[in-house]
Amino acid sequence: MSSTAPVPPPPSALVAAAGAIDARKMYGIGDAAVHALDGVTVSFEPGRFTAIMGPSGSGKSTLLHCLAGLDSLTEGAVFIGETYLAQLNDKQLTELRRKQVGFVFQAYNLIPTLTAEENITLPMMLGGEDGDRSWIDRVVETVGLKSRLKHRPSELSGGQQQRVAVARALASRPTIIFADEPTGNLDSGSGGEVLRFMRNAVDEFGQTIVMVTHDPYAAAYADRVVFLADGKIVYDMSGPTADSIIDRMKQIGH
Amino acid sequence: MIITLARKSLRAHLGRSIFIGLSILAGVAFVAGSFILADSLRGTFNDLIDGLTGDTDLQVRSSLEIDALDAVRDPLPRELVDEVAAVPGVALAEGSYGRYAQMLDPDGDPVVTQGAPTLGVSWSPDSGLSGVNLKEGRAPQSVEEVAIDKATADRVGFEVGDPIDVILSDGQQRFTIVGLVGLGESDGFVGATTVVWDPVSAAALLDDDNTVDTVDMKVEPGADIEAVRAAVADVLPARTEVVTGQELGDELKDQVGEIVSIFGTGLLIFALITAFVAAFVINNVYGITISQRLRELALLRAIGASAPQVRRLVLMEALIVSVIATTLGIFGGFGVAQALIGVFNASGGGFPEAPMVFKPMTAVVSAIVGIGVTVFSVLLPAWRASRIPPVAAMRPESGFQALGKRQHLLRGAVLTVLGVGIFIFGILVRPGSGPQWGAITGVGALMTIFGVTSLSGTFARPVARAIGAPLQAVLGTAGKFARDNAGRSPRRTARTASALMIGVAMITAATVFTASLRDTFTRILEEGTAFDYIVLDDQSFQPLTPEVAARLDALPELSAVSPFRNIRAVVGDDNATFTAVDPVDFPQLANLDVTEGGFGDLEGTGGVMIFRDAAEDRSLGVGDALDVTWQNGVASSLEVVGLFDDNSLGASWFVSIETLESVSTQNPTDQFVVAKRADGVEPATAKAAMDAALTDFPQATIQTNSEFIDVQEGQINTLLTLVTALLTVAILFSFVGIAITLALSVFERTREIGLLRAIGMSRRKLRRSVRAEAVIVALFGVVVGIAVGMVFGITLSYAVPNTVIDGITFPWFNLIAVVVVAVVAAVIAALYPAFKASRMNVLEAIATE
Repeated sequence: MSSTAPVPPPPSALVAAAGAIDARKMYGIGDAAVHALDGVTVSFEPGRFTAIMGPSGSGKSTLLHCLAGLDSLTEGAVFIGETYLAQLNDKQLTELRRKQVGFVFQAYNLIPTLTAEENITLPMMLGGEDGDRSWIDRVVETVGLKSRLKHRPSELSGGQQQRVAVARALASRPTIIFADEPTGNLDSGSGGEVLRFMRNAVDEFGQTIVMVTHDPYAAAYADRVVFLADGKIVYDMSGPTADSIIDRMKQIGH
Repeated sequence: MIITLARKSLRAHLGRSIFIGLSILAGVAFVAGSFILADSLRGTFNDLIDGLTGDTDLQVRSSLEIDALDAVRDPLPRELVDEVAAVPGVALAEGSYGRYAQMLDPDGDPVVTQGAPTLGVSWSPDSGLSGVNLKEGRAPQSVEEVAIDKATADRVGFEVGDPIDVILSDGQQRFTIVGLVGLGESDGFVGATTVVWDPVSAAALLDDDNTVDTVDMKVEPGADIEAVRAAVADVLPARTEVVTGQELGDELKDQVGEIVSIFGTGLLIFALITAFVAAFVINNVYGITISQRLRELALLRAIGASAPQVRRLVLMEALIVSVIATTLGIFGGFGVAQALIGVFNASGGGFPEAPMVFKPMTAVVSAIVGIGVTVFSVLLPAWRASRIPPVAAMRPESGFQALGKRQHLLRGAVLTVLGVGIFIFGILVRPGSGPQWGAITGVGALMTIFGVTSLSGTFARPVARAIGAPLQAVLGTAGKFARDNAGRSPRRTARTASALMIGVAMITAATVFTASLRDTFTRILEEGTAFDYIVLDDQSFQPLTPEVAARLDALPELSAVSPFRNIRAVVGDDNATFTAVDPVDFPQLANLDVTEGGFGDLEGTGGVMIFRDAAEDRSLGVGDALDVTWQNGVASSLEVVGLFDDNSLGASWFVSIETLESVSTQNPTDQFVVAKRADGVEPATAKAAMDAALTDFPQATIQTNSEFIDVQEGQINTLLTLVTALLTVAILFSFVGIAITLALSVFERTREIGLLRAIGMSRRKLRRSVRAEAVIVALFGVVVGIAVGMVFGITLSYAVPNTVIDGITFPWFNLIAVVVVAVVAAVIAALYPAFKASRMNVLEAIATE
């Protein structure tokens, strides 16, 4: 379950949906070099909701981008399912993103010119597939936006837009969904809707989700919280509550 | 999927798509229009020619050694009509005329054409040989009666029964209009005014030495045309030929096709310039929108779109716009063609209702221009778009890095230097000659343009700041922001201005060349002419009857009179125009820098004066013999009696009138007549005497020397204005690009503008600042364009011989006009972006991420 010791886990889909092994990322060179990631080893179990927390500049977003194949490491390795990302070329990476990874960003998640429904099915259509219709229907039902499917993003509220983004991420049944501050731009009511929807996706569909956030109340929806500071994992917490997270954050030293 | 995305994106950015579409549409409409017009005219004329020659089986005519449109065939002896009629197999032979007959309108003024002939022809309605068709009234039957073409009648207001005065070669006569005619289906004679007589009257009026122009024949029914042709050929004298109606038609079609092609080519060049400028606008707009759509494209990449899919998306958008715009543009082409025919008809063209001819070739060329140019312009932006990394969806700054400010300095410099080098090499050095040097020069010019475009990003900042300095002084803060913004992103400023730069460079090159040509020409003309008066038909540009020169010659108020009478000839392998003058009077009338011999030595027959360059090309000197074959096939050996240095009167070969008359039997006509006042005669007296002598010839206008030079200068000025105006229309499209770019940069600066407004900048000042920025960008394009254009224009001017251009003139007036148009157009282009900027909600603008 928790992995406080830096023991490299075997890249097996049964044990870990994704993970990083001694991941290092440096920006700049020489004295100006910044270690955004300074030897991170972590794995994410399938069917669980994990939150990554840490102060600004702790490397949490960089870790997420590298795990998702959006950015590359300076040293170390990341894997999704049974695939080490470093071995993939751009074409294979694109296919991996399309088939095995779902994304939810803080903002600008949807193509403004497409309707909500078109945005949800976009990754499948980009791959030239129809997707699993009954699955998509079920996802759409769960998202609770059936009446607004034909609307453009600009006609939806911020919370609705983010739920559409989560639905899109779910639609292709990816191995793992990465969410980068998905509620960062929302009020607490809309944020709650989105987080409950993500929680629901984990409980009901067995979806694996990794979410970066700096909001302890958002992180409390997760099964596990990994704390980062200065590019290193400093604490790994199971069954978090908002209070325990806040306490831990105080110790890490905001 | 990509198509759906592209379609939706286009709909979402409808305004931008329409702007881009419009510039493609305009280019295609002109290209398609020039092809449709040329094909339609050719088709219509070919039908007309078929109607004209359809009933003629054979025609006898003088042979012509020169393939030139302005060469006139010698007439035939009239006895030949009867001789030919007697040939077995010939059913009908008819002598026909096509000679000079100038109609006068009811006010006594000449009915002018736009350079088309003023014809007098013979017609016997029964034979059906000439293609003339009666439209109204009846055929003329006596020497008092005429029919005229219906197009002219409608234009001037003549009706059947009206009297009409007609100028013939020996003076005016009055006739009664009894009928209106047309050629085949049409009401007119393709722009020519036409007076028709019955054959007997025509012979009496048009001919005074027993000649006809051609003999038209019909063969017996069932006879073999080729056999009859051979039989006719047997009775023909030397330098006479017999052709079939079919050959005659084909020959006419070729000639018409040639004229139509020249015209179509002019239109096409203009169309291609428009398309070229449009290509830069499209490239620029797409390049900028890629930056603006960075996050959208990065998001697509992040959720699984491959790089080729993003590339295809951008290309597909351009493809959809260009296909729609090209299709509409082709329809626009029909409009352009129809409008141009309307313009011709309004000026007396008398074209028949031309069915528009659309050939597959038109569609192919339009598609290449419309779709090809667009897709080609988008290749680079599309490639850049596909390089946007997916992570840019969250970190836009990393995307801008990837879009990259690659260093263009070296590439631009190399291209520019190479381009200018090749241009100068192709136009000035030219080892040997040939059309390939034209192509090489063109490649050099293109390379220079691309090079300067690429290079201009590196000097856009200082130049834009320099241009902006006076604006800042006048407008204060608004001017300062405009100046800073224009200098902030020099590559964008340079790219935005590039389309304008190219247009202005072309205008500058064309006007520098034309203005230099004009000034050299008028100066040489002033030095070369010594006559006081020139008499010419300055309305229809038809030659004058020799009677004009004869009547002037008789005036005691004039001391010297000479006609300019042209004849074509072959010298070696070249066609040349020989000008016949009065050798005794000519030295008083012109000062052509005679270096050896003199015009007086032309007296009698057999002498020739040659322009020095033409003589040197053939290694001829005074006393040498020159063998020429005149247009009618007569061969002569002329003796070179002198050389001169100045061919500004457009003549390089002079002979005496006597020489011309000794070799040609065609009815003499004079291009113009020049005269000098006798000593001690008042100008008013001389003018009055000339007016009195020429009352019968109202088409002959008397101009003084300075009036003549003014008119010549005015004609080149008209050309100069026309070129400037046409190219200005072409560059107006570049302002579409400026408008779009400015709107986008206003959008990008939303937050900054919000801040400025929040701390107290007024809407008015903000609008003014955006407008000033547009002006700076436009002026940058104009300044660089003028600089590049001057290099081209000056090089071109040096490339032509000194006798054509011997000094550079800068057409300041035209260039200042371009600057003014550019500033006004820039302000108009900035209206919408400025409005948008000033309407921004301050709070929302600041909150924008």
